[in-house]
Amino acid sequence: MESTDKSLVEAHCKGDPKAFGELVRRYGDGLLGYLTRMSRNRHEAEDLFQETFKRVHEKAHTFRGSQFKSWLFTIATYVAIDGMRRRKGIRMVSLNQKLDCTERDSEELSAIALADDSHEPLREAAKAEQVQQVRDAVMSLPSRQRATLVLAYYQQLSYPEVAKVLGCSLGTVKTQMFRALKTLGQKLPDVQG
Amino acid sequence: MKHHLTEKEIIEYQFKLASEIQMKEAAGHIEGCGQCRGNLEKLQRKYAALDLLGEKEEISEDLISRVTEQAGRPVLKKIAWFKRPVWMSSAAAVLVVGLVLVATQVSKDGAKQREVAKQSMPAADKMELRSSPSIAPMTEMEATSKPEITQARTVQKNGKSRKATLAMAPKEKAADTYDAKGKASDEVISEQPPFAPASAIELVTLPRRDKVQLTIYNSADITLVRERRNLTMKKGWNWLQFMWANTLIDPTSLSLEPLEQADKIDIEQLVFPARLRELGRWLIHSEVSGQVPFEITYFTSGISWRAFYMGTLSQNEKTMQLQGYVRVANNSGEDYEEAETRLIVGNVHILYEIAQLAQRQYPYNRPISLHGMGGRGGFMGEGMLKGQELGEDSYLFLNGDTDRLGAVLDEKFSRKEIRKEGLSEYFLYTIEGPETIPNQWGKRLLSFDVEDIEIESLYKYDEQRWGNQTIRFVKFANDEEHNLGQTPIPNGDVKIYGKADSDGFLSYVGGTNIKYIPVDEEVELNLGPARLVKVEPKLMDFKTDNYMFDRRGNVAGWDEIRTWKIEIINTRELPIEIEITRGFNTAYWTIQSDAAYEKYDATHARFNLNPEPKSKQTFEYTVTTYHGMREGVLGEKN
Repeated sequence: MESTDKSLVEAHCKGDPKAFGELVRRYGDGLLGYLTRMSRNRHEAEDLFQETFKRVHEKAHTFRGSQFKSWLFTIATYVAIDGMRRRKGIRMVSLNQKLDCTERDSEELSAIALADDSHEPLREAAKAEQVQQVRDAVMSLPSRQRATLVLAYYQQLSYPEVAKVLGCSLGTVKTQMFRALKTLGQKLPDVQG
Repeated sequence: MKHHLTEKEIIEYQFKLASEIQMKEAAGHIEGCGQCRGNLEKLQRKYAALDLLGEKEEISEDLISRVTEQAGRPVLKKIAWFKRPVWMSSAAAVLVVGLVLVATQVSKDGAKQREVAKQSMPAADKMELRSSPSIAPMTEMEATSKPEITQARTVQKNGKSRKATLAMAPKEKAADTYDAKGKASDEVISEQPPFAPASAIELVTLPRRDKVQLTIYNSADITLVRERRNLTMKKGWNWLQFMWANTLIDPTSLSLEPLEQADKIDIEQLVFPARLRELGRWLIHSEVSGQVPFEITYFTSGISWRAFYMGTLSQNEKTMQLQGYVRVANNSGEDYEEAETRLIVGNVHILYEIAQLAQRQYPYNRPISLHGMGGRGGFMGEGMLKGQELGEDSYLFLNGDTDRLGAVLDEKFSRKEIRKEGLSEYFLYTIEGPETIPNQWGKRLLSFDVEDIEIESLYKYDEQRWGNQTIRFVKFANDEEHNLGQTPIPNGDVKIYGKADSDGFLSYVGGTNIKYIPVDEEVELNLGPARLVKVEPKLMDFKTDNYMFDRRGNVAGWDEIRTWKIEIINTRELPIEIEITRGFNTAYWTIQSDAAYEKYDATHARFNLNPEPKSKQTFEYTVTTYHGMREGVLGEKN
């Protein structure tokens, strides 16, 4: 029988070395997806991911048995926003890459190139550009709006769940979501055709 | 709902932001309204772009293991000393206000002190503080906060026993003298090297760069940097941090050597801590404390040099003044102050582009374990330069002859002399005295200035090479006879000016690019099309003759006979020498001419003429070319 999140947290607090790994595996993909969309690239996301689970480890004894997922994403949100704030002024740009091209871009471009057997460089390049435009648009949102959008749209949490994660009211979440969508409406590329 | 849905309502409907009642009303309206349905579809298409970021992320096993390993460490719990009474907040506030007032006073005094200190600080120190790569030694004793020795062991290394302590050293002042006499045997140094500190908080001092030498290659984007820095060592294990962020330094080429006390200092490892990018840390075991001079060697990209020249023709165009310049440009991301600069001419074989190596996240594409990375004479010992395949001569040179290092000229602002030396396959130019080359700066230095070089002005006409244009050349030799010949002349652009009048006003004659000119070699500078000298060939007659037939009566051989008239128009006020080359597209030809000619090669003849100033000169030649079986006839004649 599959252990509940609460029992895994309790086991971890008692020193069970496997319990924490189970929690990481259970929520790792989703959390990494969330942090990747909240940050600039995969490397940054992995740093935030480690920091999130470090805090989970440190604060595990304070977990009171409510929804672990919400608790985890709450921690991750604070870690991400905190991380963004600290890294705001020190963005490093590789001299070997295009100025507007992040490491993630090249990974995505490679992935697209590998996945697409049709070898249509123009189409691939256009798609990579669109992906970057969407990423830029999402990254341009204020952090709370971004967190709301990513949690609701990409992580498919319900609005009440998002409210719980972000520690605000349902109305606030909807307002944040609407503002995020409104802003994105002006920045998203046309992907049809 | 009677009215059409607004954009806000459509967004709220699409993303379920509206209340349940509003959602139902909107759904009902959309079902019956084509316009709103169209608007909804348009909005859905717009937001479909969001799905481009919808790919699923998968966590790697490596990341899982890192996270779980992290969770295996004990949690540092904060110690709650006592419960905070309510009155403490007020007391704390008063205390804070008091401290702020005191701090304000202190900072004023401190600012004055800093101002005084800044004025007395040597220029090199200021440079170092803002430059990267930065170097900072830190001791393991300071990096950890363990209070006392727990165990002492004897270390066997290099065939001798070594003892020191792992005691947390009291804060020592940086000693200027070595402290190795006898004390080493009294203390025991831990056998195990300390773990690389993860934070840089413990950095102690920023040693200034005492000397720096740059050897810049022009054939590849590569520069060898040799720095000398005085590092303050403490007895025992020392960590030395080297950062190359925002520079183009090749981290795989880093090498560190003590210049003194080499028998008492061991460079044990060079580690590249995980997740800390663009920095490396050397683990150094020292049996002495105090300042020790070290030499750090590495390759960097982004520094380049090129030569260029300016020639000024005399009014009669018999002589030329030639000035050679060297321009050194620094885009390496690092300032090099008071650097000995050497310039290498010649090709080097490099394995990787330095710029690429400098941009790697980790020097070897992944974090490297503590062991097996170095030590003296190991991975980054003297073999490093060999590994870059610079060639034996270059290797010897670059590793010796350090006497010139730091030779500071008294006449700092006088013209720098550029000395040249042979280096087998390479040629070395040394800019005399130190030069400061800040990042993003270029610097032009005079390499040589030679007057009265005898030259020959030559015009050439060759339709097959340049069409119907006459090309002007200036010819001289890199030898003593031409006041040159001291050194080879490196590749570079040449601009030639002519003295337009007796007042010395210059006019631009032409420019070209010269290839490397060895000593005693002739050089012709192509100055481009000449406007004042024209060559006009005219075909005066053409006929075929001497047909030969095979057994079936088909034409199997014949001669073509062409008569050409060549007119040379010299509108200059000087006599000129002109070389006219005519091609025949076959190796079987004979020529009859009223002008002298030479067979230049199998298919070309060349005429050399000297038209007078402001004159027209003509000559004719008749060329017979042999085809088919007639080629054999010519062979028999010869």
